[in-house]
Amino acid sequence: MGHRFSYSLGVLAAVMACAPLVFGQSTPQAAKKKTSAAQSSPSKSVSHDLSGVWMQYDDGTAPGFARMNGVDDRTRPPLTPWGQEKFDAAKPLMGPRAKGGQEDSAALHCDPSGPPQLLILPNPWEIVQMKGRTFMFFEEYHIWRTIWTDGRPLPKDTDPSWLGYSVGHWEGDTFVVDTVGFNDKVWADLSGNPRSEQAHLIERYRRINHDTLEQQITIDDPKSYTKPWVSPPKLHKLEPKWEIAEWFCAASELSTYDKDVRKPSGGEPVK
Amino acid sequence: MMNLDRRLISQFLLAAALFYPAAASAQMASPSSAKPDSAKTDAASKNLSHDLSGVWMQYRDGDVPGTPGMNGVNEHFRPPLTPWGQSQVDHASALQGAKAIAGKEDTSVLRCEPSGPPQVLILPNPWEIVQIPGRVLMFFEEQHLWREIWTDGRAMPKDPDPSWLGYSVGHWEGDTLVVETAGFNDKEWVDLYGNPRTSTTKLTERYRRLNHDTLEQQIIIEDPKVYTKPWVSPPKLHKLEPGWELAEWFCVLNENHEYDSVVRKPAGVAPVPGSGK
Repeated sequence: MGHRFSYSLGVLAAVMACAPLVFGQSTPQAAKKKTSAAQSSPSKSVSHDLSGVWMQYDDGTAPGFARMNGVDDRTRPPLTPWGQEKFDAAKPLMGPRAKGGQEDSAALHCDPSGPPQLLILPNPWEIVQMKGRTFMFFEEYHIWRTIWTDGRPLPKDTDPSWLGYSVGHWEGDTFVVDTVGFNDKVWADLSGNPRSEQAHLIERYRRINHDTLEQQITIDDPKSYTKPWVSPPKLHKLEPKWEIAEWFCAASELSTYDKDVRKPSGGEPVK
Repeated sequence: MMNLDRRLISQFLLAAALFYPAAASAQMASPSSAKPDSAKTDAASKNLSHDLSGVWMQYRDGDVPGTPGMNGVNEHFRPPLTPWGQSQVDHASALQGAKAIAGKEDTSVLRCEPSGPPQVLILPNPWEIVQIPGRVLMFFEEQHLWREIWTDGRAMPKDPDPSWLGYSVGHWEGDTLVVETAGFNDKEWVDLYGNPRTSTTKLTERYRRLNHDTLEQQIIIEDPKVYTKPWVSPPKLHKLEPGWELAEWFCVLNENHEYDSVVRKPAGVAPVPGSGK
C-alpha cells in the first residue's frame, strides 16, 4: 500500500511539477495513432464490462505534458471573448504559460477537483458498475462520482456543482457519459482553459481489449469555446492488482506537500 | 435526483445538530426511550439479512445533552481517560457540548480537513451503503467521503500507513456485519467534543438490519493510549430513505467564510429561527 502511494506521488511530481523538463521525453504523435481503428474487436463478455482499476498510458503528446492529454490543448477550438478573458486571467500550473512561483489552480488550495480535469490527471482510477449506476473512484483527492444509467434524463436545471450531474448510456460497445450542471470554479485542465456553468461534457469509453480502455473527451461549452472541443482518444491500462490508495488534499499538509511534491514550474525537479 | 428540498433538509439538520446544541436541549428526546431493544425486533427475513444497501439517515433520538443526534459515539459511556487522553481532551477546543466556548470552537473539519470514522459515522447526514462482491462501500454526504470495507477475507494489514479513513475489513456474524478498522492518523477526533483518535485506535462497527426500514449500528472504540477500557456505545438506529440520493457537498476552504456565517454559529449565539424553541 505504501509503495503504491509513493509511486503515485512520484508520478504526480514528475508530471505536474517538472512539466517543462520532460519536453525531450514525450513521443509526439506516435502514441496517438494506435487508438481506435486498428484494434481487435472486443469479445462479447468484456464489451459492457468496464470495471477495474485503470491507469493512463504515459504517451503524452502535448508539449510539456508527459501525459494528461485526455483533454488535448492542440485540438482546442478558438475561445470566445469570455473564454479568452478567463484564460488570460488564469495562472496555469504547467505548460508554456506557467511562471515559476506564480502557478495557481483551484486544486492547489485543496478545492475539489472535477471532470474533465479529474479525468486527465495521471493517477489511478476505478470503475465499478452496478444496476442503474456506474461509479468512478479517483485516487486524486479520493473523489467519487456517480453516473446514473437507469434511463433518467439529464436534469433541466440543476445546482452548479464541482462534479456536475452525470447520466450514461450504451451505444454499441461504447459507454457514453453526459454531464452538465458544473460550476465554473475548476478549469477543464491545468493550463487554465475554462469550464463554465454551460459546459456539457461528453465522455466515451470503450474496452478495446481486456487490458485496454479507450477514453474520448468532448467539451461542449459555448460560453467558453466557439466550437465543441473534441480531444483524440486516450488509452488506459487495466491494473488488476492495484487498489485505490487514500490520498486527500489536506490544507494542513499543504506546505509539506508543496515542498515535497510540487515545485514552481521554474524550480528544481524532484529527484 | 437531488433536489433543493433535500439539500435544505440536510443543511438544516447540520445547523440544528452541530451548531445549536445549547438551544436544542429542550427538545431532546427523553433519555433511553429511543434505545433499540434488539431482541424484540422482527426477525430479519432471510433475503434482507445480508443486504444493507440503501440510503440511511440516523434517527434524531440523541440522549446526550446538547445533541439531538450524533449519539452513535455516546459520551455517557466513555470509559475513564488515561492521563495522556485526559491532557488531550483538556486541550481540545470542542465544537459543541458542555466544554464548547463561543467563538473558540475548533475541530479539523471546520478547516475542511477530511473527516473519517467514527466521526463521519455519527454526523446527522445521509449516507449510503453499496455492496459489491468482496467489498462494502459507504458513501457519506458529509464532505462527499467514501470508504471501502474489504469483505474478501483478507486480514487487516500489520502495519498500515496512518490515514484519515483507516483500513477496514468486514465479516458477517450471523445477521451482523462486523467492520474492523485500524491504521488511523491522529489528526481528528472520534467526535466533536475533542475525544481523541490516535494511530493505536481500533474501531469496531456492528451493522444489523432489524427490518426493511431500520439499520442498527453499534460503535466500539478501543485505544489503550487514550481510554482505559473499550468505549462501547449503545446501538443507534438509522432509517432507510428510499427516495433520497446523496447530494454533492464538499467542504471548500474559500467558501468556508460564507458557510460559517450561514450555517455555523459560535456556540453561544442565537439559534436560527425555528431550530430551538
